[in-house]
Amino acid sequence: MTAKRIGWGAVVLGFLAFFVAVPPLTVRSPIVVIVIAVAAMAAGSYAITAGEKRLGWGGIIAGMIGLVGGYAATQSGVANLERVVVWGALGAATLRYATPLIFGAVGGLFSERAGVINIGLEGMMLMGAFFGAWGADVTSSWLLGIVIAIAAGAVFGAIHALFAVSFRADQIVSGTALNLLAVGVTGYLFVEVYGDLGTPDDLPSVPNVSLPIDWLPLLGDIFGDLNLLVWLALAAVLMTWVFMFRTSWGLRLRSAGENPLAAETAGLNVVRTRYLAVMASGGLAAMGGAFLSIGFLHTFTQNMTAGRGFIALAALIFGRWRPGLALAATLLFGFGSALAQRLPVFSPSGAVLFQALPYVLTLIAVTGLIGRSIPPLALGRPLPRN
Amino acid sequence: MADAPALELRGITKRFGTLVANNAVDFELRRGEIHALLGENGAGKSTLMNVLYGLHQPDEGQILLDGQPVTIDSPRRAIGLGIGMVHQHFMLVPVMTVAENLVLGAEPRSGPLLDYKTATRRVRELSSEYGLAVDPDAKVEDIGVGTQQRVEILRALFRGAKVLVLDEPTAVLTAQEAQDLFKVLRTLTAAGTSVVFISHKLNEVLDIADRVTVLRRGEKVDTVSTEGATERSLAGLMVGRDVLLRVEKTEQKLGEPLLELEGVSAVDDRGLPAVNDVTLRVRAGEIVGLAGVDANGQSELIETIMGLRAPTAGTITAAGVDVTHAGPRETLNAGVSHIAEDRHRRGLVLEFDLAENLCLREYKTPAFSSRGFLSPSKMVARARTLLKEFDVRGGDPETRAGSLSGGNQQKVVIARELTADPKVIIAAQPTRGLDVGAIEFVHRRLVEERDAGKGVLLVSLELEEIRSLSDRVLVIYEGRIVAELPPESSEEDFGVYMTGGGRDERAA
Amino acid sequence: MSAPPDSELPPNITVASRMATFFRGGGILAPLITILVAFLAGGLVVLATGHNPIETYQAIFKGSGFNWFFPWLSEDDRIIAALNLQQTLILTTPLILTGLAVAFAFRCGLFNIGGQGQYILGSIFAVWVGSSFDGMPALLHVLVAMLAGVLAGAVWAGIAGLLKALAGTNEVISTIMLNWIAIWTGVWIFNLGSPLQNDNPDQVDVPVSNDIVEGAKLPVFWGDPQLQGLHIGIFIALAALVVFWVLLNRTTLGYEVRAVGFNPDAAEASGINVRRNYVMVMAICGAFAGLGGALDLLGWQFRIATNDIQTHTLAFFGIAVALLGRNTAIGTLLGALLFAGLLTGTSVRNLDPTVFEPQLATNLTYMIQGLVVLLISTDVLVVYLLRRRRRK
Repeated sequence: MTAKRIGWGAVVLGFLAFFVAVPPLTVRSPIVVIVIAVAAMAAGSYAITAGEKRLGWGGIIAGMIGLVGGYAATQSGVANLERVVVWGALGAATLRYATPLIFGAVGGLFSERAGVINIGLEGMMLMGAFFGAWGADVTSSWLLGIVIAIAAGAVFGAIHALFAVSFRADQIVSGTALNLLAVGVTGYLFVEVYGDLGTPDDLPSVPNVSLPIDWLPLLGDIFGDLNLLVWLALAAVLMTWVFMFRTSWGLRLRSAGENPLAAETAGLNVVRTRYLAVMASGGLAAMGGAFLSIGFLHTFTQNMTAGRGFIALAALIFGRWRPGLALAATLLFGFGSALAQRLPVFSPSGAVLFQALPYVLTLIAVTGLIGRSIPPLALGRPLPRN
Repeated sequence: MADAPALELRGITKRFGTLVANNAVDFELRRGEIHALLGENGAGKSTLMNVLYGLHQPDEGQILLDGQPVTIDSPRRAIGLGIGMVHQHFMLVPVMTVAENLVLGAEPRSGPLLDYKTATRRVRELSSEYGLAVDPDAKVEDIGVGTQQRVEILRALFRGAKVLVLDEPTAVLTAQEAQDLFKVLRTLTAAGTSVVFISHKLNEVLDIADRVTVLRRGEKVDTVSTEGATERSLAGLMVGRDVLLRVEKTEQKLGEPLLELEGVSAVDDRGLPAVNDVTLRVRAGEIVGLAGVDANGQSELIETIMGLRAPTAGTITAAGVDVTHAGPRETLNAGVSHIAEDRHRRGLVLEFDLAENLCLREYKTPAFSSRGFLSPSKMVARARTLLKEFDVRGGDPETRAGSLSGGNQQKVVIARELTADPKVIIAAQPTRGLDVGAIEFVHRRLVEERDAGKGVLLVSLELEEIRSLSDRVLVIYEGRIVAELPPESSEEDFGVYMTGGGRDERAA
Repeated sequence: MSAPPDSELPPNITVASRMATFFRGGGILAPLITILVAFLAGGLVVLATGHNPIETYQAIFKGSGFNWFFPWLSEDDRIIAALNLQQTLILTTPLILTGLAVAFAFRCGLFNIGGQGQYILGSIFAVWVGSSFDGMPALLHVLVAMLAGVLAGAVWAGIAGLLKALAGTNEVISTIMLNWIAIWTGVWIFNLGSPLQNDNPDQVDVPVSNDIVEGAKLPVFWGDPQLQGLHIGIFIALAALVVFWVLLNRTTLGYEVRAVGFNPDAAEASGINVRRNYVMVMAICGAFAGLGGALDLLGWQFRIATNDIQTHTLAFFGIAVALLGRNTAIGTLLGALLFAGLLTGTSVRNLDPTVFEPQLATNLTYMIQGLVVLLISTDVLVVYLLRRRRRK
């Protein structure tokens, strides 16, 4: 038994403490939960003393979450539990809530791996949400809606690149500016075009993909009827990973973010690379926004992204600028949202607090308690003047 | 055209604002020769080569390759024309593997994907062809500087370089590694590659180069063959004055020890050992020089003394006070002054005016503030006195420090540090980037402090400076004090210890 | 001993040193041109969507009440202008304070995007204290409520400072996260059945706080208290500007803050405790923003509903205010007046809807704000101005 295994065991035990208390197992005795959770924390502590600090802390935190969650579950009615914890529905909802975050995080990955901080994800997403809806409305085609959304996001990305790359602006300030600008631009156009009535009811929307897997337990419920954009988001993660780590373009993009001078001396055009990366970033984030407006809610409202761009950014940092880990982070955050949506059964107001979970977790993550996130070396550094 | 030189630069002029970095420089590189570009720091060697590599655009002049005039507007163009460059600070991506770094910009592909297998195979082929051993799968951040340099050379060859420029390649190498490098360069030239070798080390240049072009203050002085040239003749061309500038010093009056380090060790920012078991003593009335090649733990040692870096072992005593675990403020207050090696980083707040900069140590004392409130008028008045006393030109107390020249900035630092009436002065690279007049000023002040019974620890990369100022010299290599020599010892003696050679001799 | 590979960059870059050119050069001209460009761009959008930009800006100006200063105004117009100007000055108060929360951090090399969260925390605590303890002496009650807001904001921002000092956490990320945690905490705390939901039997189904008791309200000194006249908070904000200036330019703390802001390495080398400065500065920033939230609650809002918190964007204007004002006291005041005027002038209450639809105009304000920040993010304009001046 290595310390590493014990650390992982602690993490698993922590989640198990919660899992035993909810359907289908629905153990009713809090003793069981407490015993498992304490075991998780003990194993976590051991792992820390044995040098596996990150995993150990992870185990202790998982144990605490399991203890609180599991204990709460044992104290609530079985009927309520069964209404909330429907794994199939929860799984599908998790994916739905995660989708805009996935697009955003993957978009952020492009920009930041190329060395340009993208605080402006929120704004790019909002642009996508509006132009997706508007495009779909004007062309009567959801497909063209998505295309127009991507174009709008890319244009916004190009503005970010113009300032961050060509004008050597402070990237955080210019990104913040883009967020503010997006609120104004989309709000203005929305009022101008749609006025008080809002987007029309017959807004074309992105279809769901029905798979003939109803008979599969759990998986059928989760994956049987998902929106096309959900699948595209998952595909985007895979494609991004291949692009970043298995193609020469990815190698060049990452070199621009790690050591732009090295890239330059190797004969690469760092300026162009960064422009393209930030534009791709905008396009992807905009797809996340388009999912919100024409894939999920079938309408556009002012400032409807409501901080999802920032959660996507958080997922990117939480996921240490790696596609797979970022996906895991978005799924975790999405699960929090899915659960929050169902929790009002217990407490109408308390569920709201769950919305804060992604931010609390990210705050913990960036303090380095559970491992340091090391950003691309040249992230946020403008190119030297020639 | 067959006899045309591999490369010719004609009348290259490059200005940065008002500074003329290169003034109508001519340079000719024959096929298969090793041509050294020699000059002091700031003579314009790197600028000239950056022009050649497309990193800077010349304001005037012409570049000819094989007799054909060419325009080089980017490194990409330079690479395309068969020019390769190994920079002083390696241009590699630390988190990527050797193979990835090597093929960056000209990657082998299979379909849309990067063909990593072919990449590693090419690395192995090149590596054995030129006798440059590297592991293609190692991450660059995990390999030593010598290996990193090999990767850079291999990369240039991979891209088909016929003209190879090496910018101060031996600065980071041990003596053995440097010899290995020279062997490789001879192999390359035998195969028809032409090499430009930038250096400011005379012995090296005589050792490896066929011809030498000497630059001084941005202008070409002469091109000579190394045959028949001596260190002395080259040095004369390089500095244009007698090499050893003697500093007048009075007889030493040694007093009690003021700075004592006992077995001090420290790690660098990455957590690797940087200072190893250093024991040294600076007594009142002496200047102790610390000589060494760049990046051998000098910076970390200074930071450890100043309380900016926590020692992992040992004790530090300054003026009788134990400052081993003291922070910067306590160390300063114990009577230590610090002329920082990089005045822009540690020495000055460039956006502050001179009055504010001159108070950085003492703004909290009753002289300049009371109950937390500053007295700007007192700060300005004191600054006015100091600026006159230390002959700082080009600014009054309200001038922003960043707008002064380097020499005057350094005078501001010295004014602040010396008026604090220290017992110990840590002078790190005190004359870096200064002109002759300013250098003399700094040297004179340091000697005056010594004569006044202060203890001075002088850390410098300029051996000449150390030899002419110090009363005794310690040599640091890889974070250890490897030798103590009198300043009169020969350059060769110093060179041996500074490059790690001494240990073997002692063992023998 | 060597410089890092890209030695053109100072080793320890702060947002303040990177934007130093802007904050130093170009005089008053650069901010003025910035505003002009932003307004021009906004005008083009208005024009492109088929409205008259000149009339629109005129109406917004009228709505802001700044025409009150024109001596030729008729008596009736002056009465309306006074009402409008009161609204503008009411908004100027929190904008000054959230602007200072950004400006002070900036001077220490920190970018505090967390003004919103700090403002919210300040307002939550102010409403809690201000709506409890009925019967406390009025002056004391106001002071205690303000203090509660100040401390809450300071603690909230102090978390970001502490994380920066102890773990090196980038304050941009942590303050963004703290913003959203504050928002959701606020949404929860006034929600149905939550601790601070009102205990009025008629409003059990309304997610809103209790009202501030009469004794804890700030007195109105200009206009009708029933019609949201101007409360004395503006003087407290002006006093905060003075405090900011003195603190920054005349105290040893401010000296340290500026040294750390421009060059933390040099500050550290000369014995300044950089980490302690980060914590102190963030706490002071939070105190400013928290005070802003408290004054708004005690001065004119008197209660918070959960949807107020979610749609709240006022504190974000602090970024534009501070940057436009070059993080100086006087600049922050002018910036706050500008954006308060814009916000008031484009509000539903003040803008003449026959000229331009207020909802459109509000978004126009957001656009102008975004453009202002965008233009300031780069120093190209200032560098250009400096070069021109040198050539002359």
